[in-house]
Amino acid sequence: MDTIASTSHRTGPVAESILVGVAAVIAFGVIPLAGSDYLMDAVLTPFLALALAAVGLNVLTGYAGQVSLGSAAFFAVGAYAAYNLHLRVPELPLLLDLVLAGFVAAAIGIVFGLPSLRLRGFYPAVSTLAAQFFVQWALTKFGWFSNDNPSGVIDAPALSFAGYSFTSAAGRYLFSLAVVTVATILTLRLLQSQTGRNFIAVRDHEIAAKVIGVPLLQTKLLAFGVSSFLIGVAGVLWAFAYLRTVEPAGFNLDRSFQILFIIIIGGLASLRGAFLGAAFIVVFPLMLSRLGAALLGGVFDSGVLEMSQRIVIGALIIAFLITEPRGLIALWDRFRAAIGRRTGRPRQDISYN
Amino acid sequence: MIAASAGVLPLDGGLVEPALSAPLSTHADVADRAFVKRGSGEIQPVLALADISLSFGGVAALRDIDLEVAQGEIRAVIGPNGAGKSSLLNVISGLYRPDRGRVRLGEHSFAHVPTARLAQHGVVRTFQNLAVFKGLSVRDNVLMGLAHRVRAGFLRQIAGTPLARRIDTENRAAAEDVIGFLHLREVRDRAAGTLPYGLLKRVELARALVARPSLLLLDEPFAGVSLGEKRELAAHVRNARDLYGATIVLIEHDIGVVMGLSDRVAVLDYGRKIADGTPDQVRSDQAVVDAYLGVAHADETELAL
Repeated sequence: MDTIASTSHRTGPVAESILVGVAAVIAFGVIPLAGSDYLMDAVLTPFLALALAAVGLNVLTGYAGQVSLGSAAFFAVGAYAAYNLHLRVPELPLLLDLVLAGFVAAAIGIVFGLPSLRLRGFYPAVSTLAAQFFVQWALTKFGWFSNDNPSGVIDAPALSFAGYSFTSAAGRYLFSLAVVTVATILTLRLLQSQTGRNFIAVRDHEIAAKVIGVPLLQTKLLAFGVSSFLIGVAGVLWAFAYLRTVEPAGFNLDRSFQILFIIIIGGLASLRGAFLGAAFIVVFPLMLSRLGAALLGGVFDSGVLEMSQRIVIGALIIAFLITEPRGLIALWDRFRAAIGRRTGRPRQDISYN
Repeated sequence: MIAASAGVLPLDGGLVEPALSAPLSTHADVADRAFVKRGSGEIQPVLALADISLSFGGVAALRDIDLEVAQGEIRAVIGPNGAGKSSLLNVISGLYRPDRGRVRLGEHSFAHVPTARLAQHGVVRTFQNLAVFKGLSVRDNVLMGLAHRVRAGFLRQIAGTPLARRIDTENRAAAEDVIGFLHLREVRDRAAGTLPYGLLKRVELARALVARPSLLLLDEPFAGVSLGEKRELAAHVRNARDLYGATIVLIEHDIGVVMGLSDRVAVLDYGRKIADGTPDQVRSDQAVVDAYLGVAHADETELAL
């Protein structure tokens, strides 16, 4: 939250809004026209879905301090809820399906967040782990969720909104971009409000927050609800805009960890960090496979790629936790501060996220 | 850091005189609440403890404690380590439930004070081991003191409805006010986690004062700060009473600072109240001298402000 606020404070609101404006023109205008289908289909659309999921997890873990290992469950709930809403209530516009799917995910998230009211520290994470296994099991076990597909696979309907169809790579990218932009702006507003301060207060000192009059129950459940809502919406994008055919096995514990790693690498309690981390997680395997193929040729097959990817990401997480717990975003801020000093623009020291 | 250098307060705008003993009467216009009823005969105590007992697994932490705190006074509770001072504060703030006795806050009487509603009753407290929110800026920390005043739901906050905006504007103005009062302007955008201990004590005090509490509970406010900072904090505490109209209960084992600052002092020893009175009465009380001061330490009395 304060990330953005403090950044604009440092660089001046004008420079900051120019930067945002340029980024928006590139993202909404230049890329859909000039970018290749591969870029939008295989890189940017999954990046957007994962970034939104990471924003959601960051609300819960980075800001409100509740560790979650069940992100993929809410990801899946969003995808399957939107699928069923579309299938069973075809009158609803797709955009409404997307929002309602978010609310379904929020409801499930709140249920699994209830134990966090009694448990402290590491233990609520176990409850979210239960969500992870329960949701995956339920989606496979009960055919209703996947319209009786034997292995729980669903085929997402074509994206369309207000008479326009978004089936091309550029269309699906633009749809995702619009959803992620709106959701991120709303999240930012929430985090900059008193509710956002309450999240951090509960994270930093629960007893003091309680004495001051922060409603602990409401605040924690709201964090679970908002977080699951965002992850659910991201799940809809993942299923409808990116993969278009998904199965429960695709939302396994690995996916939960992937989202958790994004916010650890990107930077906890920073929305920009969520985007940076997601970009890294998406681009890194592509770079690694190119690099591996160039250096080692045929030996570097997909098995080796996956192994080396895990090893490097694992090592990176340890390195970040030890040397820079605030993640990539802290490195980025320091880099920008150094540039600012060189160009003679005085800046304040780096803020906390 | 700012202001920390001075033993005497660097004050903005000459609002208060630097002297530690600002006469109460001159500030009657500012301190609206606390002194209105002061001196008008029978008034209800802000806080009254009756017969409070508390034990942990057979070990008595508090035994039959009675304590009354009058409107607008600075009331100290002192005692050696383990005397039950912190337990007492935790009972008043509802973190502990006493085995026996009742706590009366203004007109409400409780067997177990509801911690979550403490702020609504006009009671705030600080903590011995600093309870600032390290991830928030100083300003946001102070704003947290008004969390209970934000009645707009989160959707209204996102949408920025007139109600949400009005509350936000009011709260920010109140926060700016107390930030100026405690000389935190220069660090208000800094993350609390990056500031030194002495400054954080003031941040915590600011967060407590921003809600203009009727009762302020301070848990060892002078623990771990330098002598200069002690004088400064003592002045801030006194100003909190004089300008913000808060009745103050502070627990402390640094007897020197307390004697100069407090109107009345209660002394605890092994969970019992062994003395209660003005600093002079307490200082000359034989039971206190025996139990707490032991052989009179010259250096401790020197600290008296």
